[in-house]
Amino acid sequence: MKKKTFSYYLVYPAIIFVLLVLLFPFLVMISTALKPLEEVYTTPPHWIPQNLTLNNFSDVWFKYPLGTYFKNSLIVAVGTTVLNTILCIPAAYAVARLRFRAKSFIMYLFLIVQMFSPVIVVISLFKIIARLGLLNNLLSLIFTNGVFTLAFAIWLLSGYFSSVPKEIEEAALIDGCSRMQSVVRVLLPVAMPGVITTVIYTFITAWNEFMFALTFITSMDKRPLTLGLYNFVGRWTVQWQYLMAAAILALIPVVVLFMFIERDLVKGLAGGAVKG
Amino acid sequence: MARSGKFWKTESTFAYLLLLPALIFLIVFMFYPIVYVFFMSFFKVNKLAELVSFSGLDNYRYMFSKPEFWQIIVRSCMWTALAVAAKTVIGLIIALLLNVDFRGRKIVRTLTIIPWASSVPISAMIWQWTYNNDFGLLNYTLQSLGIMSNPPIWLAYPRSAFFACLWVDIWCGIPFMALVFLAGLQAIPQELYEAAEVDGAGSLAKFRSVTLPLLSGVLTIATLLSILWTFNDFNVIYILTTGGPGTSTDILITYIYKYAFQYLRFGPAAAMAVITFIILLTVSIIYARNYFRRGEIL
Repeated sequence: MKKKTFSYYLVYPAIIFVLLVLLFPFLVMISTALKPLEEVYTTPPHWIPQNLTLNNFSDVWFKYPLGTYFKNSLIVAVGTTVLNTILCIPAAYAVARLRFRAKSFIMYLFLIVQMFSPVIVVISLFKIIARLGLLNNLLSLIFTNGVFTLAFAIWLLSGYFSSVPKEIEEAALIDGCSRMQSVVRVLLPVAMPGVITTVIYTFITAWNEFMFALTFITSMDKRPLTLGLYNFVGRWTVQWQYLMAAAILALIPVVVLFMFIERDLVKGLAGGAVKG
Repeated sequence: MARSGKFWKTESTFAYLLLLPALIFLIVFMFYPIVYVFFMSFFKVNKLAELVSFSGLDNYRYMFSKPEFWQIIVRSCMWTALAVAAKTVIGLIIALLLNVDFRGRKIVRTLTIIPWASSVPISAMIWQWTYNNDFGLLNYTLQSLGIMSNPPIWLAYPRSAFFACLWVDIWCGIPFMALVFLAGLQAIPQELYEAAEVDGAGSLAKFRSVTLPLLSGVLTIATLLSILWTFNDFNVIYILTTGGPGTSTDILITYIYKYAFQYLRFGPAAAMAVITFIILLTVSIIYARNYFRRGEIL
């Protein structure tokens, strides 16, 4: 181990400062969510709740349609994930294992396409969704989120498939497996961490999506969480303690899931640059 | 060459077959809409987003003749430049800190990620409350720590609202930068530092002659990605200020959306979307080039 110099101990104050800045709004969120109404609206405000309460959590669940929002977000996120996975596994397999002429072009295309802002296309997408009769239908969000996560998902997954040695599948083929069986019984189990990463990535992105929901969803009972909470701010005289309690509930699942995949995301996005 | 050409032909047919479902979805929900937006931008479009008549470059001319549009372009560039610069510098500093082998590093690393892991729309709502002038804890904390004796009502005035939005965007983007740089730092072989030490290099000299040059690949790709994300940041601005007061905090991406879905002027919105598309395409091609040059994909 290296000698612990004076500058080593300087790291701690710096780290504490950084964490306070980065976590500041979450501390605000927790503080507010645990305060009763009267304490939220006092000037000057204070950090530590004097009458700690958990009522905000139950109120927001029972008095407001938070449950509906959760259900809608879950439908959208799961639907997007299923659609995306069905489309992405064969495509990633083709890119990783088969030889065809347009391969580099297609990979290039996928890399570029993931950078397009949905706002560019939302104008015409709105018309397409309307023509398909999918306005105010959760399917519209499943399709659009599915497509806008597809390129990166194929990209991530094909990287995983390529890292599995071909020989394992070839051995299975020699043993009399069909190509389909070699994929389902050999490749997919070995590449399972990659499939899981892709699934989590898609789920999180769909769960967090806001702009498409804002555009395509018009009735309250179809709102996913992000849109539901956004309208919370507008509709009811803002009860910030409720919004903060709802935010905690909405954030926990995605933050936890995200921790499983952050390393893969960094690698997938920065490519060879971080492989060292 | 003489090898059975047929096998390869069937293999590539099979490949296209596997790619087909994904490509169909991409075509219907992404490529076709892009083409349609191009199309729309050359038409007079009514409030129901229906094409009325061909109008040539009218939509473009209309936008270019608006001083507000030019302000938005300048603001989008400022927004992107300032935010990316800040994210890069702060991210690098945090990465250098996390690269020190201290106790509790793993926990700190995890905590650092939370702003990235969190949902951007929800983070923006939390920040909106944090910025609240009467009851928000930001101004209270700034005042009681003596950092600012008279902090502004952040979201009420054009200038402070712009910086308030900018900070939230920076805050969201710091963790990614820090993590990429950290991965880059950890890939630098320790021997290089030792060799530099033997040559009598101090910490600053080591940073300049070892760390920075070896980090340049990571730096380029992370910066390009960050430019794209920052330029595309719709959620933060839309949720915090909806571009307001007026259009004083709008950037291109939010302005397009407002033009289409609030003012219902789809033609000019399409023209701006085309311009934005071309900007994004250019930057993402540069990104892809860098990605492939460093990576060993394919």
